[in-house]
Amino acid sequence: MTDVRPLQVKELSKQFARKRGLGSVQAISNISFDVNQGEIVGFIGHNGAGKTTTIKCILGLLKPSEGNISLWGSLPAAPLARKRIGYIPENPDYDDSFNPMEYLNMFASMRGLSGIDSDWMKLLRRVGLAGWESTGIRQFSKGMRQRMSLAIALQSEPDLLIMDEPTGGLDPIARKEFRELILEENKRGASVLLSSHILSDVETICSKAIILSRGRLMAEGSMDDLLGEEHLFRITVISRKTGREVEETIPETDLQSRIDSMRKDNLTIVKVERALKSLEEVFMAATGGVKQ
Amino acid sequence: MIKYAFLITITLLSFSGCRSDYDISEVAPADFLESGENQEHVHEGTDEEATAERDNHGQTGDENSIDEHVEASHAGHNHAAGARNHGTQWFFNQPWAAPFIWGKLFRDSAIFLGLAVAIFFFSSRKRRQK
Amino acid sequence: MKAVFTFSLMTLRMLFRRRTLWGILLIILLALAGIASVPSFDVSNQGRFILDFGLFGIEVGALLLALGLAATLYPRDRETKTLMPLVAVPLARWQYLLGRFLGAALVQAAALLVTCLGLMLILLFHKLPIPGDLLPATLLIIVEGWFLLSTVFFFSFFTSPPLNWPLTTMLFMVSQMGVAEFVGLLPSAPGLMRALRMLLPHADVFHIKDPIAHGFDVEPVYFLVAIFYGLCYSAFMLSLALAVFRRRDLK
Repeated sequence: MTDVRPLQVKELSKQFARKRGLGSVQAISNISFDVNQGEIVGFIGHNGAGKTTTIKCILGLLKPSEGNISLWGSLPAAPLARKRIGYIPENPDYDDSFNPMEYLNMFASMRGLSGIDSDWMKLLRRVGLAGWESTGIRQFSKGMRQRMSLAIALQSEPDLLIMDEPTGGLDPIARKEFRELILEENKRGASVLLSSHILSDVETICSKAIILSRGRLMAEGSMDDLLGEEHLFRITVISRKTGREVEETIPETDLQSRIDSMRKDNLTIVKVERALKSLEEVFMAATGGVKQ
Repeated sequence: MIKYAFLITITLLSFSGCRSDYDISEVAPADFLESGENQEHVHEGTDEEATAERDNHGQTGDENSIDEHVEASHAGHNHAAGARNHGTQWFFNQPWAAPFIWGKLFRDSAIFLGLAVAIFFFSSRKRRQK
Repeated sequence: MKAVFTFSLMTLRMLFRRRTLWGILLIILLALAGIASVPSFDVSNQGRFILDFGLFGIEVGALLLALGLAATLYPRDRETKTLMPLVAVPLARWQYLLGRFLGAALVQAAALLVTCLGLMLILLFHKLPIPGDLLPATLLIIVEGWFLLSTVFFFSFFTSPPLNWPLTTMLFMVSQMGVAEFVGLLPSAPGLMRALRMLLPHADVFHIKDPIAHGFDVEPVYFLVAIFYGLCYSAFMLSLALAVFRRRDLK
């Protein structure tokens, strides 16, 4: 039966040879994860954790030392699978002598798309480059180049968007717009693999996260599982005697008995909620809080 | 990939037909060489044209032929344009003038084309296996 | 193939917008004008002189154009990371290489035709006849230029541009050598040198400046054979370049 998962990475390892044959460096080691249809997966890790290496292996830019990658059940090199991908590289750059409209037309032709200028105008407006369609890319700021890269990635209405630090170096407003665009694409049906070390972005939009450290997979799971991993609950009560508000965190197994005992003690229960950790806490715990 | 290219090359080189090159001075039939150096010449006037030709090129062919040519020019004779002359062996030992090597040239071309196609497919197959 | 043609068109437009092309073209045209102004041995030989050295100048121009246009293409694409979005999604590596090659080859051919026109104008200016084989001779130099271009691409996948220049120039020089001369470079290993010489290109195949300058007719079939040889050798060099490129990890 055909595997319909957009991306499946199995026991992926990559070694880089050192210069002059002085041994090798293990960039990633035995990583396995999936991106399922409609998921937005956050791919997080320190600088040098292996995020970009993994993405480049997925795209066929690097040859894996071991392991398998499949895109909708095909090898990464398969032209049909590649057609369904949109890729935003880290710090993208384009030939300075062209303008966005020329670039979009050429990419469309290379991809066999049938769009016309008005379609690409719409796309440029969507990514915030309206009015810049005839301006040479050499005049673009870093943020504008990121937007250009997003336009190219979205041009083919991809089924899988692979984004490598797309919001790095952007101002907060641009980051918010990027997040909204990603959510729109996801709503359209695209799955997303979002590599970032801006944890708040991942926490806001991702349904699943993969945490890498030193080339190893440290944690993986849905955001709910990761952030509320130990199923803790936070109870907020007000003491009738002192009028003070008190918070208490307890495991799910003890929840009912504790509520009962609080009622007996004449405490007013204000709020019972799941005690979620921040992604930063999860990340620090998973990676041991150490820099690479 | 380079390993494949190397193996293919060695295989091709092992065929006797591929070992013979088309260096004209080595593979030219005797009549071709003789027609250049031993033919009868029509002697008319001075040898300015031939001398200028040699000087322009700064190339000389083999030393004997130069001596021969210098000797001839002292004798003071001229050759009609397009006629083969003393000391011009280097001139006629070029591929355009030697039809007997054109077949070999074609054969070499076919070999290189075959190698190109083989390398293209072998390298793509190896990449797909990963 | 549509992707290849689009990408080659993109390459062509990019190269036309770079100053390198115009700089090299200007140098070649100035050199041709310089050749025409050198006093010849006598008036009757001036046409031969201009044709002989003019065609030689165009040939050196082909080498300069190959190096100037292509030596930095791939290294620059890697350095600026413009390569990643191209090779990751719309183009396979062979399409990237072929697209870049075709674009550069068209630009180089156009530039060499301009130099041929320049040479014709110089001949006309000196009231000298234009030989019928001048255009076919330029065509052969264009094919030689494509072979040099493919060599530049081959070296560019594993060397830096400053190293590419001497390596390609060296191959250009070696390819002009006959077997005896080449074996003479290492007389202790004649077998190896002969085998190597057979594998190395024979650039003398593309030279018909001598017969043109001296009024000899060249058989039309020779042009076909020489062009076929040049195209096949270019394909061989490109396939080697592709084999190296396919092994490359694009970090």
